[in-house]
Amino acid sequence: MPRSPLRIFFATGSWAILAFLVLPILVVIPVSLTDTAFIGLPKEHLSLQHFDTFLHSPEWLQATWTSIWIGIIVAAASTALGTAFCIGCWFLSDRAATIARWVMIVPILVPPVVQSLGFYKFWVTLGLIDTHFGVILAHTLLALPYVTISVFAALTNLDRRIPQAARNLGAPLILAIRTVILPSIRPGMITGAIFAFIVSFDEIVGVLFLTVRRVETLPKMIWEGIQESVDPVIAAVATILVILTLLVTAAAVARSYAATKPHPS
Amino acid sequence: MDTSDHHFQSDLAEIAAEKYKAGTLSRRGFLSAMGALGLVPLLGNRALAQASEVVVCNWGGQASDILRDLLGKAFEEETGIPVRVDGAGPSAGKVRAMVESGAVVWDVCDSGAGSAIVMNGAGVIQDIDYSIVDKSKVLEGTALPFAVGNYLFSYAMAYNPTMLPGGAPQSWADVWNVKDFPGMRTFRKSVRGQLEAAAQAMGIAKEDVYEFLDDDGIKAAIAKFRELRDNIIVWGSGSDSQNLFLQGEVAMGNIYSTRGFLLREQMEPGTFKMTYDGALLQPGMWVVPKNNPAGTETAMKFIATVQDPQLQAEWFVAIGNGPINPAAAALVPAELSEWNPNTPENVAKQVIYNDEWYGKNQVSAEELYIDALIG
Amino acid sequence: MPRMNEKLRYWMLVLPALAVMIFFYIWPVLNIWGISVTEPATGLGNYTKMFDSNAVRVSFMLTFRIAAITTVVCLLLGYILAYTISNFATKARPLMLGLVLLPFWVSVLIRSFAWIVLLGRSGLVNDALMDTGLIATPIRFMHNETGVLIAMVHVMLPFAVLPMLTNMRGIPGSYMKAARGLGASEWRAFRDVYFPQTLPGVFSGGLLVFVLSLGFYITPALLGGGRVMMISEYITYQIQEFLNWGLGAALSVALLVATAIILFVAGRFVNLRKTFLERN
Repeated sequence: MPRSPLRIFFATGSWAILAFLVLPILVVIPVSLTDTAFIGLPKEHLSLQHFDTFLHSPEWLQATWTSIWIGIIVAAASTALGTAFCIGCWFLSDRAATIARWVMIVPILVPPVVQSLGFYKFWVTLGLIDTHFGVILAHTLLALPYVTISVFAALTNLDRRIPQAARNLGAPLILAIRTVILPSIRPGMITGAIFAFIVSFDEIVGVLFLTVRRVETLPKMIWEGIQESVDPVIAAVATILVILTLLVTAAAVARSYAATKPHPS
Repeated sequence: MDTSDHHFQSDLAEIAAEKYKAGTLSRRGFLSAMGALGLVPLLGNRALAQASEVVVCNWGGQASDILRDLLGKAFEEETGIPVRVDGAGPSAGKVRAMVESGAVVWDVCDSGAGSAIVMNGAGVIQDIDYSIVDKSKVLEGTALPFAVGNYLFSYAMAYNPTMLPGGAPQSWADVWNVKDFPGMRTFRKSVRGQLEAAAQAMGIAKEDVYEFLDDDGIKAAIAKFRELRDNIIVWGSGSDSQNLFLQGEVAMGNIYSTRGFLLREQMEPGTFKMTYDGALLQPGMWVVPKNNPAGTETAMKFIATVQDPQLQAEWFVAIGNGPINPAAAALVPAELSEWNPNTPENVAKQVIYNDEWYGKNQVSAEELYIDALIG
Repeated sequence: MPRMNEKLRYWMLVLPALAVMIFFYIWPVLNIWGISVTEPATGLGNYTKMFDSNAVRVSFMLTFRIAAITTVVCLLLGYILAYTISNFATKARPLMLGLVLLPFWVSVLIRSFAWIVLLGRSGLVNDALMDTGLIATPIRFMHNETGVLIAMVHVMLPFAVLPMLTNMRGIPGSYMKAARGLGASEWRAFRDVYFPQTLPGVFSGGLLVFVLSLGFYITPALLGGGRVMMISEYITYQIQEFLNWGLGAALSVALLVATAIILFVAGRFVNLRKTFLERN
């Protein structure tokens, strides 16, 4: 292929933009290895002291663990609710179902501060302020849109006649769902669950409004850490999360290369 | 009619008490189960051991460690009740959230006069029991019905001489003089303690500041901020202001004297200076949230204990909180007294906080102030 | 089997999630309206205060300006990326896609932290520029609108790229080839044939970025230096500092109404269904 100016412009531009997207995130890695007590690049040697601080801090570990188990419950709850919802809507496929689907994605459109304000007032009435359950409930609601979008996307690829055939043969609805529908939309459910976990694991504004002292999540610790003192421990935490993300992304990219290889392109 | 009303009320109280008990029990059950799972160990302890400790909340960092090691230990020695310090920052919003949630964790909070007024307005703090807390052991005028002075601090002018090759600013007017003193300035993200500085920059004598700050004066002072705003970075919390100096983001600013006291040691020698000239002296306030876990009496006892002059002096040495108890001034080491906002020499240099002015003007001025700064 | 009964069964699947959403989400959010007209006193006091306040007006204008600039920059950069990924990069495609998605998975908080580390006065960018002698005094990248914009574009860029990619995937390469075959230059073929077909994706990405940007809180709060007070920060500030729930609620209602109007108007040009409901 001839290299036209247009192509060169787009290609170099793209790599520059990708560098803008990725490199700033990687900056937390060298900073986390600093041997100083403040934020900066390592001065004399590399040091793991800030990772050590993180791994020996009951507060940080507790908050990390809280974020993980809340995220898992949120993923499970929102995937279960969201999948049932989508299957119902898919069968119905009428105007009411479409409206219901719009209702489910409202949390994407409402600004985080606004919805947190609404949560706060209602959670006070329900006695859910500063409780783990209160956070789980709020996060489940925020995760539901992502679950419904990805599960419904999986359902649209499903042939409507297959479950119908099963039903016509006399299979009860539950059985048809379990044996025919669920196996074929599993990828969508998994994507939804991962989204739900991430939404909960990263969520900060709601937590700031809904918790005071009893519930500490990882984002809240990071937020307070940035406000309190820009401490390299945050860089260590960030590095751990960024490296995890890098590994997962690398695995995904490698997989899609492996998947495309057999096809001559 | 009267009697039936009375019965009705006492009946209600009984039901409420029973519900509370039932609530406590189920809560304990729930908590200990969670605790057993290793999910909320701290929380489990707290709920089970009601009134066996006092939780004091302040604004974190070193101030928390010192509160625990100094005041906390003294209180434990006297009463046998341990003190736990939470550095979460008892902002009006958090205290309200906690009281409204019905799960109050804090017994005593380190607040300010302005916030105390706001919290009292929202009905989330208790009145101070002056049969336990000694009014005579605090500076006159700092014993409000719903809050009592805990220490003194100032909004003072601080600067980094190394970032100001043209010389050090001598007055607020210099802080407004961008030409001769270039660099970023920091002011609080709230009008508290800020207009006093602007008024003095306009040449108003420190004694006349509040007289000057009537409706027109407020507008004029705020116009000064609008004029300076491209050179302003705003600090939200005390630690914010500390970081701005530590990271060299600002060359000068109007910050808490307590943070200045810490920066004096944290910054490289010769890179930090602070002056009480034209500063605003004001009291910090203890407030007690409604339904605090340790009970009103224990909270009041804690406040009374830490009024002790010796403790007050040690507290200043450790963190720069000016003693609220006038009797403590004599106990402060001479070499540190220049940092004490409450010595006669330093008081003479400062504007004295006027809570009447704040009660009347704070809210409207706040709105104008934000308007002048943003955008 | 009776038709009605069957429908009812499907609704039984729909209902749990829908009920939870309506009861615990929609209802509390609608209730904000109630707070705005009852606290501190019943009436429209908060709204008159809001409309009279210059600070509110400035904050709203600031919010819309930042959202608009973020949207335009994201669309420009995003278009370049999306176009390259769908038309040129064959081998590098999965890698490029992976790199676009990578920041997506890193929380906004951590990314803001990274920007603080980079853009501060004694941050890495300034340090590097000073060390190489390119500048003598540090440049102010942060604690102003520039810092907020850089960080916001970083957060929103993937949201702009993805809808455009979906759209470009559906455009057959044959049109461009045909135009080229008829003698059009590569640039003309792009401008007259390809670009118009990508407009739905551009609008869709732009709407998504704009609407999400309006509600930003974390990034401006951390990188704005207190002076880039977007409306979400203004609301939080009113509530946390002054317990001014009434005004905070009124501002929230205004922000919600503004978002709704934008969606309503955009609905005439953008396929809302594709933008929000059938996102991949």
